[in-house]
Amino acid sequence: MMDAQLLISGVIFGLSIGSIYFLTAIGLSLCFGLMRIISLDQLLYYSVGAYLTYSLSSASGSVWLGVLAGMIVAGVVSFAVERLVFLRIYERELPFSLITSFGILIGGIGVIKFFWGVVPRPVPVPTLAQINIAGTDVPAYRLIVIGIAGLVYAGIWLFLNRTIIGKAIRAGIENVEHVEGLGINVSRLFTITFIAAAALSGLAGGLNAPLIMVDPQMGIEVLAFVFMVVIIGGLGSIKGTLVSAIIVGQVVSLGSLIYAPLAQMAPFAIMLLILLIKPTGLYGSALLKR
Amino acid sequence: MVKALRWWWGILLAFSLTGASALFLPLPFLNEVVIFSIYTIGCSFLLGRVGFISFGQPAYLAAGAYGTAFYLFYFGANPYAGILVGVLAGLGLSVIVGPLFVRLRSDYFALVNLALAVIVYYLMQKVLADITKGDNGLWFLTNIASTPVLDISRPNQFFIFALLAAVAVWAFYKYLDDSIYGACCLATKTNEDKLKFLGYSNYNVRLLAFIIANTTTALAGAMYAVYLGFVSPEITSPARVADPVVVTVLGGTGTLYGPLIGALAYTGMKDVISKLIGNWELFIGFLLVFIMLAGERGIWGTLQPRLEKLLFRNHAMTAADERGEARR
Repeated sequence: MMDAQLLISGVIFGLSIGSIYFLTAIGLSLCFGLMRIISLDQLLYYSVGAYLTYSLSSASGSVWLGVLAGMIVAGVVSFAVERLVFLRIYERELPFSLITSFGILIGGIGVIKFFWGVVPRPVPVPTLAQINIAGTDVPAYRLIVIGIAGLVYAGIWLFLNRTIIGKAIRAGIENVEHVEGLGINVSRLFTITFIAAAALSGLAGGLNAPLIMVDPQMGIEVLAFVFMVVIIGGLGSIKGTLVSAIIVGQVVSLGSLIYAPLAQMAPFAIMLLILLIKPTGLYGSALLKR
Repeated sequence: MVKALRWWWGILLAFSLTGASALFLPLPFLNEVVIFSIYTIGCSFLLGRVGFISFGQPAYLAAGAYGTAFYLFYFGANPYAGILVGVLAGLGLSVIVGPLFVRLRSDYFALVNLALAVIVYYLMQKVLADITKGDNGLWFLTNIASTPVLDISRPNQFFIFALLAAVAVWAFYKYLDDSIYGACCLATKTNEDKLKFLGYSNYNVRLLAFIIANTTTALAGAMYAVYLGFVSPEITSPARVADPVVVTVLGGTGTLYGPLIGALAYTGMKDVISKLIGNWELFIGFLLVFIMLAGERGIWGTLQPRLEKLLFRNHAMTAADERGEARR
């Protein structure tokens, strides 16, 4: 019913979507794990990354320069947002940060509309080369996206396990009060995590820009899927986020090959199922209860 | 008896003001506001009283709207029966998913509801496209028969019906707020362990609240369907999932009149600001952040203490007078 060529391109397509989801979701997951906030505004930084990629690639011709600028600007914007808003709401309960960050997301979309207008913008794919895998031509750019996501995962793993700040962050995910008791400046830890999360979201937006059309609502469109990835993996777990991003990417991609109308719905059904069996997600620990 | 009159008074005043504003505000706008406020009160109750934030209210709105739409498109012509079918559909959906959802923590609850809304969206748009006509929607305005006493197929009489329905819903929620059950809801929000020690089941309290709130939402959906005479998957689109939450926060979370005032302000501002500066998101987004940071009281939450002060000052004076009389 499905030939090998279709299957291979489907898997690669799914992995590249999963990579984008992973890069966006990792920020949400880290923010939840450490600060216990649900930061919907990560989706804003995703859009910011995509729009800067559009602007700089049409100005200078280099998509990679745009992606880099998108990451930096996303980080700067998130720093401002953290100082102005999140510093005041770290200790509040979850629904509070959920609503407030949704306000930032909506307001940010308004700002994007103000600067770039509402017309969807195309971004050129940086390399049109095709790579042959087992007799199937696969776009090289999708492989690059997958590779970058893999590198980011490795980088985060090394950062969290091999550096003092990373270890402090991991300890903070388990128990923030103890880390503070050890004399570590938790508020600086929060800022670092928040900016890193936003930069990764910006990276995801920049990398995704050539694959889709850039439009102001792009953050809202991907919101449900990113959330699903975080929930399936378990809030606060890096490994869980990776696993569930791969699962969701494959379900979306292969599902649309099997029966298109169900492809968009299937991940949500899977998420409901997983939550009913294991309410904390695949790798979420009960320790995270606050 | 006097007490009963006193709280009826507030609701009647609020809705007679809404009704009287039909003299100078356009009717479609007011219809929209009243339905929207019924739509929001469920969300406001869940968020303010039980502590559940739901990003999935459109799912239950769609259940009500499509229940009504199916009845009026395929089976009957009586709009009242249609609304009843819609409400029952919403009740059915919340009874099925309620026991699964209310076990979850509030953050997961928000997201699972969001997932349900997205599922319903794709269900109505693609999977059931043969029955729901997909994105084109179901058009049944001409199917609606006129009814004897209150002919809700006409917009002006529909407005009277909407007002009556809203008064009934508000009276019901006011009753809930004052009952022991309302106190249990607040307790499960603030301290579930204590409630457990008092011998109540958190699960039952939450489940009942979930079902009540979402059935109300379905009523709003059914009213939308009858009022507009058409239903499309658009009502549950992912871009609109947060509308009730925004209106709840805008009006004042968990307050009785918050949803009405929030719906009025939201619908009004949307019309005015879209015309003036055309950048609606910018305004509402930052307004939302501002309200949250300023103490999340919302419009009614800010107004209420002032009004009370105004009323209570008179009240306190008369009470003092009475005491003075008695002493003399």
